Amino acid sequence: MVHNIEPYLEHKKDREGKVFGYLIILVAIPLIIAIGVSLFNDRKYNLISILIAFLSCIPFFLSFEKRNPKPTEMILIAVMTAISVVGRFIFAPIPGFKPVTAITVITAIYFGPQAGFLTGSLSAVVSNILFGQGPWTPFQMFVWGFLGFIAGLLAKNGWLEKKWQLAIYGIIAGVAFSLMMDIWTVLSMDGNFNLLRYQAAVLSSLPFMAVYAVSNVIFLLVLTKPIGKKLERVKKKYGLN
Amino acid sequence: MKLFATYHPSVLLVYFIGVIGITMFTMNPLLLLISFLGAFGFAIQLENKQIVFASFAFYIPMFFLISVTNPLFSHNGVTPLFFLNDQPVTLEAMLYGAAIGGMIVSVMYWCRCYNLIMTSDKFIYLFGKVIPKLSLVISMAIRFVPLFIKQIKHISTVQKTMGIYATKSIVDRVLSGFRIFSAMITWSLENAVDTAASMRARGYGLSGRTNFSLFRFTLRDGIMLSVILALLITALIGNNMGVLDYSFYPRMSRIQISPLAIITYITLLTLLFIPFVVEVEENRKWNYYISKI
Repeated sequence: MVHNIEPYLEHKKDREGKVFGYLIILVAIPLIIAIGVSLFNDRKYNLISILIAFLSCIPFFLSFEKRNPKPTEMILIAVMTAISVVGRFIFAPIPGFKPVTAITVITAIYFGPQAGFLTGSLSAVVSNILFGQGPWTPFQMFVWGFLGFIAGLLAKNGWLEKKWQLAIYGIIAGVAFSLMMDIWTVLSMDGNFNLLRYQAAVLSSLPFMAVYAVSNVIFLLVLTKPIGKKLERVKKKYGLN
Repeated sequence: MKLFATYHPSVLLVYFIGVIGITMFTMNPLLLLISFLGAFGFAIQLENKQIVFASFAFYIPMFFLISVTNPLFSHNGVTPLFFLNDQPVTLEAMLYGAAIGGMIVSVMYWCRCYNLIMTSDKFIYLFGKVIPKLSLVISMAIRFVPLFIKQIKHISTVQKTMGIYATKSIVDRVLSGFRIFSAMITWSLENAVDTAASMRARGYGLSGRTNFSLFRFTLRDGIMLSVILALLITALIGNNMGVLDYSFYPRMSRIQISPLAIITYITLLTLLFIPFVVEVEENRKWNYYISKI
């Protein structure tokens, strides 16, 4: 698998900005959650959780803004986002069967964790402009972004190069997406975390979980190589680097 | 275009965050009812009445499902209706479920109105100031979606004309689907690089460039924003004095009817019905002028 598209997207100056970004992600998010738990000790977790999900996306967004991305980089993220939205649109008749996670992961593999996060979270924003925004938007933004970010980190360390690794990540991502969205379902109904309701929600969403996992594996196995080749080709043709 | 939609995007954003926040924050049944009526009334003004009522038929089962299932997950409350597996099914838990159901349905209707009023151009305009780079990415992605769908149709027509994968078998259709998707991705990536080159050539990112937008913050917007903020603050003060407090467990509390509580409820009623009243007043004016012609 080709990983050498990444360098032209990452500039040396951004190193510091990136370290700063990682710090915010690893320190600020748990801190916000801790504050949410200790300060709002009542049943308002539906509101708090939306806030946390939204705030969690901000460090990624700001670090992208700050490092002055090149137009090519911005457009490639826009294209990958649009591709995943069009995919969701094409496959909308089959519930749960959508290529958003797969496209996010592919972007993360070739362009790094930050681009992965952005493609995932922007796919949520843009596709919900078409499918309807709701209180779940920040949650989807965070979950898809997070799955892309982790895929980017794994790819950086030489993972996700073999087909079986992609398949396993696809399954884990599908299960994680379902489990994390179920947390939102419970919070939106109870205002706090009711374990019994969570179990019921997980149980009733098992079919969806299966569809998510299967569709992720299919899309990842089918699309990763061809899209990688195309990116290589465009890079060669236009002499990018 | 509806009159409420012509207010400045910042006014609209403050309003929607305010009302959706209030609705999600409260468990007070009277306030939830007011919020639901405000959102439903607004939706009827915005959309075809039949569509809104049809959507209501979809939300009713959801409402009942939540109220009936809540006692299964929560056994708080002091009024057992009957026992299921030695666990009490209480009236309080059921009514609490109804309140949650009402809250979710109200939020759905507010979001429905939000989707109709806050179009993507307003969204991009608002966030373009805070996150200019990302807003550009979002706005490009929004534009690419219809462009890609159009391109998919082009490619598909050409493939059919060439007689490739034209049979009706499922394997053929899936294969042609992937072929078209693949061609579309190649095309879109090349298109993207061209666009980027064009942006560079036109000096994107150089300093001193200005943006064009249709939105002006006028006196009318200022007045509306002040009214919304004043109502929100008054409601918040009332809430902090505890007049809106309501609890279901262990037993349902009464809705307070002190003068302060009444003032707070009237404040919220005004706030939640602003868009409805704005639209009704505009319709009345419109019909009046039409009758003069």
